[in-house]
Amino acid sequence: MRLNRLDLIRYGRFKDAEIVFPRPVEGVPDVTVIFGPNEAGKSTAYHAFLELLFGFKGGAHPYAFKFERSDLLVGAELDLPGRGTMALHRNSKRTQSLLDAQDRPINEAILSGALHGLSRETYEERFSLNEKGLREGGERIAGAQGDLGQLLHAGLSGLTGMAQTLDALAERADKFHKKRGRGNILKTGSDRLKEIGRELRADRLTTERERTLRHDRDRAAAEFEGVDAELRQTHQRQAASKAAEVWYDRTEEIGQLTEALVDFPEGPNLHPGAAERVAGLVEKIAAQTIRIAEAEEEIDKQDQVVADNPVDKLAQTLTAELERLDQLTIDGASLMGRANTARADLARRREDQEKLSRQIDAVLRLLQVPDAPASTVALEAGVLEDLAAAVQDFLTASFSNDAAREAAGAARAQQGEAPAEPQDMTALRAAFDLWKTVADLTAFETDQSQALARLTKVTAGLPASWKELIAEGLPARETLDEVGRNWMALTADLASARNDLDARAADLAEARAHLCAQEAAPDAVDIVVTEETRRRRDMVWRQHRDDLTTETADHFEKAMYADDGTRAHYLIGAEARQRLLAAQGQVRTADARYGAAKTRHDDLVTLRDRLSERSSRLALALGLGEDATPSAFSARQQALTAAAEAAAELSNAKEALKARLAHQEVARDALIDAARPLGLDRANGDLPAQVQRALTLEDSDRKAWAKWQEGEKTIDKLDSKSAECQTDCETAQVNLDQLTAALPLPDRSLEAIRAALPHLRSLQQLYGEHRKLSARIEALEQAIAALAEGAQRLARIVDDPQDETGIDPVQVIDRARARVVGSTRADEKRVEAVLRRDETDRSKRRAETELQAAIDDLNGCFEGQGGQDLLPRDRVAKLVERDRLRANKATADRDRQKARDGVDADLFAEELDRMPDATRAAELELALKDVQDSRDTARDAQREAARLYRDAFEAADRSDLATEQATLLEELRSGARQAAVARLGVLAARGALRRLAEERRSGMLRDVEEAFVTMTTPAWTGVDVWSQAEGEKLVGIQSDGSTVPIEQMSTGTMGQLYFALRLAGYRSFARDPGPLPMILDDIMETFDDTRARAALQLCAEIGTNGQAILFTHHAHLVELARDSIKGVTVVNMPD
Amino acid sequence: MMRLLVSADIHLGSPIRSVALRNPDLGDRLKQASRDTFAEIIDLAISEQVDALVLAGDIFDNGYPDLKARAFLISQLARASEAGVPTVLIRGNHDALLDHKAHGDLGPNVHVLHKGTPTVEVGGTAFHGLSFDAAHVAKSFLPDYPRPVPGKRNVGLMHTSLDGAQGHDPYAPCAERDLMAYGYDLWCLGHIHAPFERVDGPVLAVMPGIPQPRHFGERNGGTVTIVSVGEGTPEFERRAIGHLGFSECALDLSACADQQEVLRSLRDTLMSAQVPGSDMAVRLHVTSDRHGTELVTELAVEVLDSIDGVFLDKVKSAPPPRKPGAETDDLVRLMQDELTEDGFRQAALQQLEELRLALPSEIMDELDESGLDALLEEAIAEVSLTLHAGALR
Repeated sequence: MRLNRLDLIRYGRFKDAEIVFPRPVEGVPDVTVIFGPNEAGKSTAYHAFLELLFGFKGGAHPYAFKFERSDLLVGAELDLPGRGTMALHRNSKRTQSLLDAQDRPINEAILSGALHGLSRETYEERFSLNEKGLREGGERIAGAQGDLGQLLHAGLSGLTGMAQTLDALAERADKFHKKRGRGNILKTGSDRLKEIGRELRADRLTTERERTLRHDRDRAAAEFEGVDAELRQTHQRQAASKAAEVWYDRTEEIGQLTEALVDFPEGPNLHPGAAERVAGLVEKIAAQTIRIAEAEEEIDKQDQVVADNPVDKLAQTLTAELERLDQLTIDGASLMGRANTARADLARRREDQEKLSRQIDAVLRLLQVPDAPASTVALEAGVLEDLAAAVQDFLTASFSNDAAREAAGAARAQQGEAPAEPQDMTALRAAFDLWKTVADLTAFETDQSQALARLTKVTAGLPASWKELIAEGLPARETLDEVGRNWMALTADLASARNDLDARAADLAEARAHLCAQEAAPDAVDIVVTEETRRRRDMVWRQHRDDLTTETADHFEKAMYADDGTRAHYLIGAEARQRLLAAQGQVRTADARYGAAKTRHDDLVTLRDRLSERSSRLALALGLGEDATPSAFSARQQALTAAAEAAAELSNAKEALKARLAHQEVARDALIDAARPLGLDRANGDLPAQVQRALTLEDSDRKAWAKWQEGEKTIDKLDSKSAECQTDCETAQVNLDQLTAALPLPDRSLEAIRAALPHLRSLQQLYGEHRKLSARIEALEQAIAALAEGAQRLARIVDDPQDETGIDPVQVIDRARARVVGSTRADEKRVEAVLRRDETDRSKRRAETELQAAIDDLNGCFEGQGGQDLLPRDRVAKLVERDRLRANKATADRDRQKARDGVDADLFAEELDRMPDATRAAELELALKDVQDSRDTARDAQREAARLYRDAFEAADRSDLATEQATLLEELRSGARQAAVARLGVLAARGALRRLAEERRSGMLRDVEEAFVTMTTPAWTGVDVWSQAEGEKLVGIQSDGSTVPIEQMSTGTMGQLYFALRLAGYRSFARDPGPLPMILDDIMETFDDTRARAALQLCAEIGTNGQAILFTHHAHLVELARDSIKGVTVVNMPD
Repeated sequence: MMRLLVSADIHLGSPIRSVALRNPDLGDRLKQASRDTFAEIIDLAISEQVDALVLAGDIFDNGYPDLKARAFLISQLARASEAGVPTVLIRGNHDALLDHKAHGDLGPNVHVLHKGTPTVEVGGTAFHGLSFDAAHVAKSFLPDYPRPVPGKRNVGLMHTSLDGAQGHDPYAPCAERDLMAYGYDLWCLGHIHAPFERVDGPVLAVMPGIPQPRHFGERNGGTVTIVSVGEGTPEFERRAIGHLGFSECALDLSACADQQEVLRSLRDTLMSAQVPGSDMAVRLHVTSDRHGTELVTELAVEVLDSIDGVFLDKVKSAPPPRKPGAETDDLVRLMQDELTEDGFRQAALQQLEELRLALPSEIMDELDESGLDALLEEAIAEVSLTLHAGALR
């Protein structure tokens, strides 16, 4: 392949630019130097060339800044092996982007065949080199350590990272696993797997583990049962030993007790408490004997008291008489109590009576009735009080009567003449009040002016026809909102639909283009076409066979090639046909989607038109233009609504003012009518003012009239009061007269009675006291007489003649009373003595009975017992001791029998045979402790085994471990595969590199050496190959004959060696399969002139084998090229 | 009409085997996947109020023998029983733990069919089944199955590999046509983990599939089947179940111009694997001449950080097929030549064996000698991809 011309039609900053690569004359190397300063577009041209060859890359395009990506277009004229010169274009489409000169899609195979199937990346790797690649390539081949295979591969492929690749693969494998390595993935993973395995095995309850656990549990239970039985046996033996010991001890004790009982009296055991009972009975017998003796002595003593106090036969008579005297009273008190004082008191009372009689006489004289009996003048206390009240009432009534009469006179004197009665102004006041409510129009006039101003303001921005618009009716707010919303939604939907439609159209176009491309692809031919070409070939063949001319031969050749090509394409075109089918499907899908999008778009347009029509109607209804958008509706609707409201308010204000004026007129007429009867007239001036004045005066007149009327009422009330007081006075007079009518007073007037009242009160008091005193004196005299009579009867009873003489009744009575008292005391002593004697006698008999009972009980206690010769106390003590010994013996027998209860008989017999044995108990205790310890151990073991068995089922599920295990195994599986792949890859690569060295060394090594020496002479004179165990190694030979390993060369030398390798690789490729343009981008800018000249010569060498294109921005390199390369073409970058 | 929930191959305790579970959240969610899935089956049986739960073997897994799993099974079946759902089941080749002689019964309303009790009647339907203890059975069970009960609907439970299934050992092989002609109305099958149904006239055979796939090879599972048995052919309905699915995605990175485009393509591809409400482990087959497995794995992990519910199971990267007539890379060509050398194969086998022997025994099969050719093919591709990737970098 050769590039003749590169067309930068629309690419980067270029438009319709071209770079021509003239074909050199025969014998001249094909080298073109493209010269341009920095930013002249050399990289742009390089990329354009690559995109022409391999198509545009996807994604954002770095050179689509002047032209859209879809408009980018590059072209070239190429010499293609077997096809001759072809002009090609390349656009940025994904498919069918390679076009002929007429912009018709052509098959990519045309180019890919010429490029020997290389991909863009491979081409770049092999057929391009820049300064950076040269420098880095030189450094990287050092990693090959001179490995010939790697170096030659680098030269052939342009890939310099072989050493690093192999190292990376080996490292990857080692990272996973390295023999005897530590910390690698496999080792770490395996260790973890072992841990997991251990944990899982410990955790997993397998059948075997369950069986083992169950067996352990059962075995532990059995062991426990055995030891537990042994423990029970030991317990039994210990119990038997203890029982035997008890038996032995108690038997000994019983023998001793039997022996002791021989010396004690016979007889049954005493009853419980018998000793205490005997002691009590002995005590009781002694006590009762003493009590009997004491009782007999007391009986004798009481008989003597009875004899000393005989019965008084007069005592009863005297007692009755004295009781009669005691029942006599004077002034509510016993006569006997007052008998001594009554005689002295009588004389003093009589003196007091005389004194009161004198005072009564004095009072009667003051009342001017000295001769009147006091009883006729002295009033009862109630009558006297009534009289005093009547006097007081009469006086009060007289005073009230006088005061009322005086008050009435004073009121009448103050009342004066009556004023004129005021006129009725109720109607006038009502009319005036009505007038006042409507008299003021200011508020209405203000409202009207404000409404007018508001209307003017809100209609300022409205058209003149606003009133008509309002009158015709405004659209509803909801309607406008709905239209607005719909309009916005529809606009958005429409924009979306439009975008969607564009996108679908683009997709459809692209799908169609893709389909065209697929259809145009030669591989996509179907069987019909192959048959057609075959038919065409056969027809041309027949024609050629007939004619056998050059022209028919050409036709046949052409038809034959066409048929061969078609069939070849058909044979390899299964995939292309699949793509074609897929492309057809994509077109159908895209077409359907486009149709759907179009339908949606059209539907939305229709909807929009309908909505637009509705919107226009609404706009007109709002006074807007037909094409006004709904967004303006809301504001206009609000303005018109405000205007309507303002107009309505103005109209309302006017109506209100008008109504108020009408009301005012009516009120004025009513006021005139009401004022006229009162003499008020408009002719006399402002009528409301006159009415206001009249109403104001009417108030004061009415107040004066009311006050006078109130005075008249007060006078009437005072007169009425005076009359009532007169009546009361007269009533009091009558009452007083009635009360004084019986009094024998010479003057019974008010004043006389009022003056006599204190005397009457004194008389009433003195007369009362006199009467009381007279009655008391009479009672005293009667009492003294009764006392004397009683004394005489007492004297007669006792037959005392002195008493008859009546010396002193009191003394007689006292003696009688003393005799009665003495008789009474003697009776009491006598009765008490009799009672005591009887009691003592009863007590004596009880003691005798108890004594006998005690003696009987005592005999009963000892019934059947021996020891009769002993005193009861000693006898019972002996018997009690006997019984205690007997009880001890029985207890010992019970104890030994009880000790045997529940004890194994054999063991007991064995243990009893051992008795006495002082160490046996300790020996058994030790044995028991040992067995107890064994049993506790067995019990713990049993519980632990049971717990382990239970826990095994209840343990938490460890699926996490199993999951981690599985995941880790998968990781290791994957890692192992990758490690194996890496290892085998390294193995295969190293083998392949050895083969490469063998295969290419003869062809390339000479070229490498020649190129290297050309560039490095005279420092280096050649290269050599060392055969080593690990393979052949390339070394450099210096002018002194010494060899230098590559890794020890300088960076510049290594770069030159790398360049030499690439040149050799190019030459090898050019030889087979064929040359391709080699792009060198300023690779010599760091070379000195000598080396640059040498490198240019090597470029010429490339040009000899193929085509070399050298980009540079160094003018001196251009000159060097002109000097170094014969016939070199220098082309400037286009503008 | 009788409704049955049919399941099989629960493999209680057997974990999911995927590198995807290295994700801590996913690993935590799925650590009890088999148990959770079985509990979900019980929930479904209860909520659907089926007349019986049918389990056609392999409730347990021989690789994970644990009587705790048996205790779990008993508790779950008791839950179903308390809700009025009886269970009929047979043992599979993994069900040593179901041996009632060794371990006792599973509880009330749970019927394990075996040679001693091959038939049980539940809800007027006769269920027939046989259980064998051996892990490998070469002969068909079918001749030993009871004859259908006249006048009843007859349902058979069988654990069988049928005529053979890829990836499954032959177990109680049985010709499908013999099965369908046996006279039962419904066959509930187990052993083959991929679900399928066969209808032959009035007879339906159901292989419900493994309810929770454990690895990529079981990606077709994740189902149970609800069968309605009435007049005519029984009707079936598959129900998705399980907590993790596996899927396969192909991705061609050949046309990607740069790393951003690679990441975008990866993202689009992995996003397409998302399944609402379920976690997915993705196996990625990448075509690229520049991006090796390791590189793509790194990039995919990075991309998946921002994608919910999708996890990386494995990446396989391979170069695109060579264009006809394309110039072969010398290195690739010579490596392929190298593979034909006996000496090379010997060395390769030696290296492989050395690595294989270092592996845990469970995964030694991965590097079996029989897989050498495939490994070498991958190795050549990997060298080429890594070399070009180095140039790309």
